[in-house]
Amino acid sequence: MKRTWRFWLALWAGKISATILRIVGRRGTTFPGVVAQRLDPECIGHLSHSFSEGIVIVTGTNGKTTTANLLASILRAAGRGFAFNQAGANLVTGITGALMEHVTWWGQAQVPLALLEVDEATVPKLCEQVSPKLAIVTNFFRDQLDRYGELDTTVRLVRDALTEETMLILNADDPLVAQFGQGRRNTLYYGVDRLPESSTESRETREARFCPQCGAALSYSLFHYGQLGLYACSHCSFTRPQPQVLAAQARMEEGKLKFRVGVSAYEVGFQGFYNLYNALAALAAAIELDVRGEDLEKGLREFVPQAGRMERFLLSEGPVTLALVKNPTGFNQVLRTVLRSEGELRLLIAINDLAADGRDISWLWDVDFEYLSLGLHRDQSHGGCAEIKLIVCSGLRAEDMALRLKYAGMPEEKLLIEHSLEKAVAALQAGRQGKERVFVLPTYTMLFPLRDYLASLDLDEGSQGKPSERLRKGRASA
Amino acid sequence: MSKWPILKIGHLYPDLLDLYGDRGNVLALEARCRWRGIETQVQHLSLGDDLNLSQIDILFLGGGSDREQSILVKDLKCREEELRRAVGEGLVVLSICGGYQLLGKYYQTGGGEKIPGLGILNLWTVAGSKRLIGNVVVEQNPPSLSEEKPQTLVGFENHSGKTYLGPDLSALGKIQHGFGNNGEDGGEGVRYRNVFGTYLHGPLLPKNPHLADLLLQLALERRGYDHALPPLDDQLEKRAHRAILSRVLDA
Repeated sequence: MKRTWRFWLALWAGKISATILRIVGRRGTTFPGVVAQRLDPECIGHLSHSFSEGIVIVTGTNGKTTTANLLASILRAAGRGFAFNQAGANLVTGITGALMEHVTWWGQAQVPLALLEVDEATVPKLCEQVSPKLAIVTNFFRDQLDRYGELDTTVRLVRDALTEETMLILNADDPLVAQFGQGRRNTLYYGVDRLPESSTESRETREARFCPQCGAALSYSLFHYGQLGLYACSHCSFTRPQPQVLAAQARMEEGKLKFRVGVSAYEVGFQGFYNLYNALAALAAAIELDVRGEDLEKGLREFVPQAGRMERFLLSEGPVTLALVKNPTGFNQVLRTVLRSEGELRLLIAINDLAADGRDISWLWDVDFEYLSLGLHRDQSHGGCAEIKLIVCSGLRAEDMALRLKYAGMPEEKLLIEHSLEKAVAALQAGRQGKERVFVLPTYTMLFPLRDYLASLDLDEGSQGKPSERLRKGRASA
Repeated sequence: MSKWPILKIGHLYPDLLDLYGDRGNVLALEARCRWRGIETQVQHLSLGDDLNLSQIDILFLGGGSDREQSILVKDLKCREEELRRAVGEGLVVLSICGGYQLLGKYYQTGGGEKIPGLGILNLWTVAGSKRLIGNVVVEQNPPSLSEEKPQTLVGFENHSGKTYLGPDLSALGKIQHGFGNNGEDGGEGVRYRNVFGTYLHGPLLPKNPHLADLLLQLALERRGYDHALPPLDDQLEKRAHRAILSRVLDA
């Protein structure tokens, strides 16, 4: 690919704007990316060619950021240099900016590899110019349908964009993802045979009830969550592929997720079995990138969860856990994690409907909030279900959230609508008893204001202030 | 004899037509009956299931993705006559988005191909070039009689098909904000006898409790029960309804 004068213009203008931003004390890769893209819409292709070991992309609905960060942690443990759009700037401009940061003024990459989290809708655009070495596809759930049209379209566009040259790292347990590997050679599957939460029946709203190949009904011998599980088509040969990277003995111990793959034992310091898939995806990619066994283990063990993914704050009234919620499957997983142990619960649910949250909030009706009120009716023999003490609803769509909970069977006296974040947090903590557990569950644009506010109240404040600041700036411009 | 009959709600193709939280509509109908001591039975009807429409009081059809809609057109065709007869006899039907389109004569694709619908309502849909997406406020047509009830419907639309009504049909309401049937004539949805069609997700009924109650009232009247439904405490419902009005109309 011959570099044109437009490319040099774009690169230099981008680098100059990045330098100016740095001088005035601001970070952010999106603006330089916007500048470069404006001058040469093909610059991302030219930039990508400078990375000698190629480009690794991570896409899918849930777990992109966590998977990319896990892989980054492993690559760091292995001492590998790489470019990374870690601010969550996962659209074309953010990616351009991230690549440019690691390319010299003379167009040479300073690191051999680039690791990119890519928004699903951006994959086709990116792949017009870039042919990734590896593509990790995590899962497909309904998310922000108003932005992408419908899920089928998204899945098809991503599948068609990834050519045979790219090695696909695929979630074997999600039929929507596993179908990418049909009739292809260059694939590596990851998956799990059983989770402690797996069941033979599913009550959740789920995608992919029908075979992506022939349209007949899919039958499941086991559901892990959502449409993830052990499935086979009732009509054609489509079936869950045998994962090469298969997790066994997955369990939560001492607040950590522990599991085995083959003869190796791993642990990662976060909650929620949905994160097992993120760890497996990162492992599979790292294995493909020839990372040694002990570095895999070390990279996962040393991983620090990013902002707002089951992140804990210690407030004077007691600990508070913050977890981002953004679509039904993700929210259901968070609810399961929240309800797992005994004890009374207080929740703050903050729902916004800005572009980054999804303008359409009807997805709240696909979340199984009914689980929350099960604990209120012990006679239904759902022991082990924590009882709800209070749910504070906040955000631009606080009323919708409260209404959803009313129709899920939550008594109104347990609900409170409070639009002010400060007052919502105060109400959440007011009269809190010793053993009660407290969770704050915001959508995307509520996450960073809440995180900053909780960090300002944190008794251990100090270490956590900075990353939030960095992330917030990166996200805001994404 | 109980004051109320058992209301039977048929949820057609819940496994196929379940986009955008539409199951919330059935949850709302069930809850609003339960709070009044009216017993309900919900039947989930899928491909090939036996459907006896004379046993159904309210039929609900939601929206689905294009692929899933094409799977069920065939199945529905077998039920066409039965459904047409039941509609003639006053069956209460709520159909949303894809379900609404299916009741019409055809859906014309971008390539000009006409995919036949059930033809129960004299309306048709033409694929549009852009998606009509966003919050919607509709002024009900004709306005509800009671002063106290909201005279608006609120919801969220997301469709690319543009629906046109035949001259014998009237829209459910007039668009105050959003696109509605086709973004051209200012109409939203349709009402024909006891059949309601609309593009409003949200889901529709929880934030529009007056419409939910209208459906219940019509279904009860069809069964010969004409006493008025006891009122419920709808403060939260009205608050959520008003929140959308002020968010959309003040913006």
